[in-house]
Amino acid sequence: MLCCLLKPTRGTASVMGFDINREPRSVKTVIGVSPQETTLSEHLSPLENLELIAGLRGISPDRARKWSKAMVEIMGLEERSKDQVRKFSGGMKRRLSIAMALIADPAVVFLDEPTLGLDPQARRALWEYIASLKGEKTILLTTHYMEEADFLSDNIAIIDSGKIAALGTSMDLKTLSMEKRTIVINAWNITIKAIDLIRDKYKEVKINGNSLSISGKYLDFKETTDFIHSTGAIIRSAYFKEPSLEEAYLKITGKELAG
Amino acid sequence: MRFTKLAIRNARETYRDPLALGFLIAFPLLFMLLFGAALGGNSDFSYTIGVVDKDKTGVSEQFVTQALDSVPILSIATFETDTLAGDSLKNGDIKAFIVLPSGFGEEITKSWQQENPDIVLDLVYDESDLTVSSQIISAINISVREFANIKIPITIRTSHINVETEVSQMDFIAPGIIIFGLLIMVPTSARIMVRDKETGFMARLLATPTYPWEFIAGYSASMLVVAIVQIIIFILLAVAFGMNVVGSLSLAFLIFFLTAVCSISIGMIVAALSKSENQAEPLCWIIAMPLAVLSGVWFSREIMPEYIQFMGDLFPYSHAVSAARMVIIRGAEFSAVSESIIIIAIWAIIAFITGIVLFRYKMRA
Repeated sequence: MLCCLLKPTRGTASVMGFDINREPRSVKTVIGVSPQETTLSEHLSPLENLELIAGLRGISPDRARKWSKAMVEIMGLEERSKDQVRKFSGGMKRRLSIAMALIADPAVVFLDEPTLGLDPQARRALWEYIASLKGEKTILLTTHYMEEADFLSDNIAIIDSGKIAALGTSMDLKTLSMEKRTIVINAWNITIKAIDLIRDKYKEVKINGNSLSISGKYLDFKETTDFIHSTGAIIRSAYFKEPSLEEAYLKITGKELAG
Repeated sequence: MRFTKLAIRNARETYRDPLALGFLIAFPLLFMLLFGAALGGNSDFSYTIGVVDKDKTGVSEQFVTQALDSVPILSIATFETDTLAGDSLKNGDIKAFIVLPSGFGEEITKSWQQENPDIVLDLVYDESDLTVSSQIISAINISVREFANIKIPITIRTSHINVETEVSQMDFIAPGIIIFGLLIMVPTSARIMVRDKETGFMARLLATPTYPWEFIAGYSASMLVVAIVQIIIFILLAVAFGMNVVGSLSLAFLIFFLTAVCSISIGMIVAALSKSENQAEPLCWIIAMPLAVLSGVWFSREIMPEYIQFMGDLFPYSHAVSAARMVIIRGAEFSAVSESIIIIAIWAIIAFITGIVLFRYKMRA
């Protein structure tokens, strides 16, 4: 809908101040789109594909050619810049697809599953490129890979059954999903007396050699570490254990399903 | 058996797709109905032929008023001279004229008296329409033999109006085949856009600030280049196979070109309405094949009932076929085919605009 490819059944939205219902053409002048399918003109070269989109976005042929060459270089496709893209690997096609979304410098870029089906190496390379664009453009990226969302996003919306189930930073979502907090402490000199004192104070304590794992709903980091210190244990390291975004996703959507 | 599982799956796919199922049944049914209506049954069609009676005897008069007039497919018009009949033939008012020579009545009387007659008739016909002219020759031959009560075929000296060129079967068929080739551009044109829709490339294009008319014009323009090449190849091949172009080649090209624009625009309408190739392909054929029948690309429309001819006249292709035949076979000039050209051009413009409107409507559906 934000790309003006679907008409909303009701309501409206705006992109860079342009209303998607009333000013779809203006919206299209400020956006770039990389659809989920690697949709390229298979019998054209990367340069020709890029020049096509640049041309449709109103760029003059000369500028389109220069811009396309630059994008081909940025995406590491210069050696194959004149080959037909049907002969390209999945990773190369993805890179070109993203380049086509970025050509002509749109203010807002929609990347739909940009790394779907890529091997870890190609995925990592694309992540790094997308991350390098942060601060220059607004990027709206949809993905099923939680680590991708975690790595790339400033703000994440978890969508479940077509509705936004949670919205916030990665840390917000992880925190939101936590029913209790866990502090992991590595310490020397954990005596039996110290263990008894710790177990008396906290209900959920796991001890594994020099590692203590303390869980509780309202755990305070400073208060907890001060207490451990007071038992005579010598703390080497202490940190809050974060849930992964995937755990957060499962908890958030699981709640939605249960609700 | 894995193939049975596949067969069941495919059968379910078909039965559960009402559109595909509809085409499977409706397409052959429509064809059967069209061909049946066009060619079958007792049609009321008739050809008007002229008679120049140089014998002017009671027998010759009796032959015209009784024998010829009773032939179901013939309507008779009489002329005083060959020249007047020839003019009428050139104007297309009659399909042929027959000359009853002096002594015709005498020869017929001989035949009635069991003597050997020497009946020679002159028949001048419009050879541009071969299916019709052969039927007229056959009908006249039979009626004379019945009237004269003889079994042997009589001598009919035939000549045709295009004295400067021999009209071959190819001359008649080639323009129709070229138009049929241009009709095939309906599915060809639709396929490119529909494939882009199906692969998702269209979504990428639609996300650019491109106007609907620019899309339709962009897709159409590429097909126009194909059409021009196709027309040139068709004409060259037809000439190689023996087609004689009597009229202006550029005028014939104009007719073919406008017809191609119609086909491409109709293809764009189909593409705008279809979501996939599976939808577009049968839809195109269900449009193109009946139009081919109605337009008389393979055989003369004269033999079709009037209401079928009327249906054909509603579409540009029948006008294209007749105009192309007139230019190529008869050497007709622009003024003679201008009405057809205007109809084809109007069709092209309306189809093009309809394509844009539908595309605009569907692009955010």
